[in-house]
Amino acid sequence: MTLLATALMIGGGGVAVLAGIGVLRFSTTYARLHAAGKASPVAFLIAAVGAGIELGAAGSAALLIAATAMVLTLPVGVHLLFRAVHRTSNNDHLFVDELAPKLLQPPWQSESP
Amino acid sequence: MIVAIGCFAFAALCSTYRLLIGPGLAERVMALDVTLISLMGAIAVDAARRDDTTYLVLLMVIAIVGFTATVAASKFLEQEHEALTLAPTESTPQ
Repeated sequence: MTLLATALMIGGGGVAVLAGIGVLRFSTTYARLHAAGKASPVAFLIAAVGAGIELGAAGSAALLIAATAMVLTLPVGVHLLFRAVHRTSNNDHLFVDELAPKLLQPPWQSESP
Repeated sequence: MIVAIGCFAFAALCSTYRLLIGPGLAERVMALDVTLISLMGAIAVDAARRDDTTYLVLLMVIAIVGFTATVAASKFLEQEHEALTLAPTESTPQ
């Protein structure tokens, strides 16, 4: 049990290292946001599962509340950041930009349901 | 567990360096988010190491404060961009 918890916590730390390297080394803003918004909550979730195995019921409840709050809020925040970056910078380096033609017309005029 | 805390500290150092050198405001906000999540993971692992659930309340507070900071900063980015690019007469409400 303790071995599994330790392995999960070290695995979470490894994913956190990958997220940090991605944030530090990727070339464009979108790639860095990608590394930040997907790898880091996974790192915290894996480490939280390990810590919950180690801590028992009381610690698991607090960790579950924290993990739920983060899983519910962090994609929204990263999505808002993506939208702000897309609207405020020029996107000439992108090969495919599917959002740009949709921003030109209001959403009630789009033909797709 | 010391190894796990060291890994989270390394991730926090990487994103703090990005926070210092980042080209724009969005990257700094994002790097602050990654730093906070690394802090959350380090707090969880430290609570498991010391078998002490006192500081686990901090995790929820950090999660909600980080989300509020991200949303506020992104709204600030968009509004500042609109104020800089559009003339006041063109900014008609939809």
